[in-house]
Amino acid sequence: MTEDAAVPPAPPESAPEQPEILRLEGLQVHFPIRGGLIDTLAGRAKGAVRAVDGIDLSIRRGEILALVGESGSGKTTTGRVVVKLTKQTGGRVIFDGQDVSGMWGGKALRPYRKRVQLIFQDPYETLNPKHTIGDFVEEPLLVGGRDLSREERQRRVLDALDAAGLRPAADYAARYPHELSGGQRQRVVIAGALVMDPDLVVADEPVSMLDVSIRTELLRLMLDLRKERGLTYLFITHDLAIAWVIADRIAVMYLGRIMEIGPAERVIRHPRNPYTQALVSVSPSPDPPDEEGAAKRTILVGETPDAAHVPPGCRFHPRCPLAFDRCRTEEPPLFDVGGGQQAACWLAKDGPLDLPIIDAVEAVGGVVHASGEI
Amino acid sequence: MSAATTDPAGVNGPAGPAPVVIHRQRFRGLRESLGRFSTRTDGLVGLGILLVFAVLAIAPALFVGPLETVVTATGGVLEPPSMAHVFGTDEMGRDMLNLTVHGARISMIIGLLATVITVAVGALVGIVAGYSGGRLDNALMRVTDFFLVLPTFVLAIILAPILLDIIGPEAELFGIRATLLVIVLVIGLTSWATTARVIRSQVLSIKERMFVDRARVIGSGSGRIMRVHILPNVVNLIIAQAVLTFAFAVFVETTLAFIGLGDPFAPSWGQVLNAAQSAGAPGLGAWWYIVPPAACVVLVVLAFTLLGNALDDILNPKSGSRR
Amino acid sequence: MSELDIRSNRKWPMPKQAVPGAPLLEVEDLSVRFAMRNGSVKAVDGVSFRLNDGEALGIAGESGCGKTTTALSLVRLLPANGRIRSGSVKLFGIDLVPKTEKQLARYRWREISMVFQGAMNALNPVQRVGDQIAEPIEVRLGASRAASQKRAAELLDLVGIPKQRAMAYPHQLSGGMRQRAMIAMALACDPAIVIGDEPTTALDVMVQAQILQLLEQLRRDLGLSLILITHDLSVIAETCDRVMVMYAGRVAEEGPARRVFTAPRHPYTRKLLLAFPNIHADRRTLDVIPGQPPDLRNPPPGCRFAPRCAEAMDVCREVVPPEVRFADGVRVACHLFPVSDAVAGEVPA
Repeated sequence: MTEDAAVPPAPPESAPEQPEILRLEGLQVHFPIRGGLIDTLAGRAKGAVRAVDGIDLSIRRGEILALVGESGSGKTTTGRVVVKLTKQTGGRVIFDGQDVSGMWGGKALRPYRKRVQLIFQDPYETLNPKHTIGDFVEEPLLVGGRDLSREERQRRVLDALDAAGLRPAADYAARYPHELSGGQRQRVVIAGALVMDPDLVVADEPVSMLDVSIRTELLRLMLDLRKERGLTYLFITHDLAIAWVIADRIAVMYLGRIMEIGPAERVIRHPRNPYTQALVSVSPSPDPPDEEGAAKRTILVGETPDAAHVPPGCRFHPRCPLAFDRCRTEEPPLFDVGGGQQAACWLAKDGPLDLPIIDAVEAVGGVVHASGEI
Repeated sequence: MSAATTDPAGVNGPAGPAPVVIHRQRFRGLRESLGRFSTRTDGLVGLGILLVFAVLAIAPALFVGPLETVVTATGGVLEPPSMAHVFGTDEMGRDMLNLTVHGARISMIIGLLATVITVAVGALVGIVAGYSGGRLDNALMRVTDFFLVLPTFVLAIILAPILLDIIGPEAELFGIRATLLVIVLVIGLTSWATTARVIRSQVLSIKERMFVDRARVIGSGSGRIMRVHILPNVVNLIIAQAVLTFAFAVFVETTLAFIGLGDPFAPSWGQVLNAAQSAGAPGLGAWWYIVPPAACVVLVVLAFTLLGNALDDILNPKSGSRR
Repeated sequence: MSELDIRSNRKWPMPKQAVPGAPLLEVEDLSVRFAMRNGSVKAVDGVSFRLNDGEALGIAGESGCGKTTTALSLVRLLPANGRIRSGSVKLFGIDLVPKTEKQLARYRWREISMVFQGAMNALNPVQRVGDQIAEPIEVRLGASRAASQKRAAELLDLVGIPKQRAMAYPHQLSGGMRQRAMIAMALACDPAIVIGDEPTTALDVMVQAQILQLLEQLRRDLGLSLILITHDLSVIAETCDRVMVMYAGRVAEEGPARRVFTAPRHPYTRKLLLAFPNIHADRRTLDVIPGQPPDLRNPPPGCRFAPRCAEAMDVCREVVPPEVRFADGVRVACHLFPVSDAVAGEVPA
């Protein structure tokens, strides 16, 4: 029984006429580094970890936008800001036309939380080991202050479990997390997000911790749910290949900024930012490389610097094999390169340009070191 | 885990299948823990000893008759153990066995009350401080540290007469006289800090776990999170702490009574030892006056400690049930 | 390098008991059992394979298939409740299975070493990285402190850690750096075989590419043999000469990587390949493998994949499929390829 999980072409609901459901404008999250005693006395902050450093993003209803990046890129922090687990230090969050940037506090956030939910990464940790599955899925209803009767709550819980593929729902609802496999637990997490009937779901690496054969089922489930319930996803992942399979649009983040954003096919097949291109080229594939294959990989030098020491100019320039003078001093904005694709790179300023493949080690001239130092 | 319909009369209307009740196996975790407990010899021994003393404490009169007083003393003065008096008699002719068994009740009740106070305050402070963090945590911990470093006995000796003055020596609560109440208070005051610290460090690690994050994301307030998510995960630790505190409380009460801060009319084991001291029992070689109450204290403290350690090992949420 | 070159270029002499002409590593019919509270689990059930000098073998499969257990049993690092029940592990023809712990010390880390998953857990957090690399040299080879430090510095250079980082503690290094340190540790005594258990799983994709490139370079320069254990088929496709796909404790398919990946024979291999998203392919589809791996306390009779196999026949559910060897060097254990149909002229394994 092979069932193909083919990504359907963007459903009519996510056609350009669809309204925007989420927009981030200049979003910034800086975590101050507390200095020692002297610094505190002198009132000096020792600098900041610039986890998210000014990003603009918009998602239309029914769309799946993948936010792709390595560790330190700020993608998880962005997700946390959208679900209001972390407070932004700058910029705006606009949800369904309403500016929610200043909306904080339990009561004020209730209507927001009903509509925006989060699927966590670790199905083993997201469920409280002392609570049953039913408790877990019911909790948002208890907290949401909806004044539902007990029967109504139970009905919704069972509906959500059923929608997440856990049948018979009543059976699962009575169980404890340790009785379930990883894939089943993740379905429970999804059910927990569905029970409030949200509009936007932020999924933070929802399948990274699952076995390969289970991932497909979960991804299919998420796609089916989009179709059935008109959900919109902000899909956060470090795995470009998963983004390739599931996303309508992909945004690539590096050190707190968006390097490139656009329709999945364009970003993957015709990256206009050298970072994206390098990521795509090293993305592992199960096809064994032929002789030319090995040469087509752009393996970057060094590792992502930590967000407290962001390089000046284009933040990627120390590792970029195509960097030139302007890159070292001025940070490029996102340039439009056609087809709905934008790239933050001086090379993209004058329109789309197919990037040459360059041996990164030769270009940057050095041996691998940590934190980008050569 | 079977489902059962709850709506046989169709009260909720014919639409859709009848609502289903979710039978919860709430106590499965408990049954598993009991299973593991049955393999721990130390825990079982401790529990056994405690049960014996608990039974004695609940109904001492059933075993040895009412508490003997000077008036109702049945034996001669300081008689060594004999057939009639298995543990001998004290300087007023009272049967030692009788005194010892009745003493169990006082010691255990004091221990129990002190433990309740200690654990309630300690857990509350520990959970609130651990979860809140920041300034509240700092403030609470400074207070806790203050109590932590106070030497128990010194504090007891100082506080006891002061509190007694405040309460008034004639006060009585639940049939417990002022002096004993004071002891309970003193033990509580000096022990809660340890519990608070222990609970707090567990809470610190629990609050970082993802399910707490999830609770926040769906909009749970701090109060609810502490009650519904944090507390169930520290209950095991609280139980283990309570048991160990009980041991400590019995020991402290004994000591306080021994040095004369007890209630002469409530013959706890410590009080009996105090009386033995005053009567010159050691000098007179009246070992039967000293050994039974002392042995009981040792046994009870040991039993609680064994039990507490076994529980700590078993109930400790180490296993996150990884795949 | 040819086998002769590699063996003659060894830094240390061959073990005394080595059988001349024997292959580097030969595992035959290995079975490992774990004693659990409610039954015993046969995590590895009759696994055989061979590794030649300078070769890279990838062992692929999902969690619970027995690949890590297989690797751990090669160096006898199984947890307390695990035991090798039968089979042989022959290094240079010397069977390691009957050896005692003391006898094994001659081989562990000196002929076979291991790079573990999650370097943070394998590195001592209160010991400097340079010292941790020097330690096995001192302890196992009996070198002087100065000589081991010198060698450690060489190794750090070899794996691309700058000398000034040698004095750092593990938590001060990035994930990629730590993994390089682990590789340096594994190379400390110039082993013939390095086993990598999911060495790149927790790393970012760019760092993963760097580490794989490093391993490839080391293999070429040092004549190292690699056993790479991972669930990620793409990693194996890029770095390994041969691949062995395991399922539920048994070998499903094994052979040259190029052959197995381009023309997989076993239904599980085929489904597994299709379940990997491929960024370089045109398709944006993924296949589902329905069901779950079997409970190894009570595995199904016959072929263990049968319950999930779309092509299962009656015989699959009853009889364990024998291994069949093809002319292109691929071994398969599947009734779709019965012994009688083996490519003419080939002797079935």
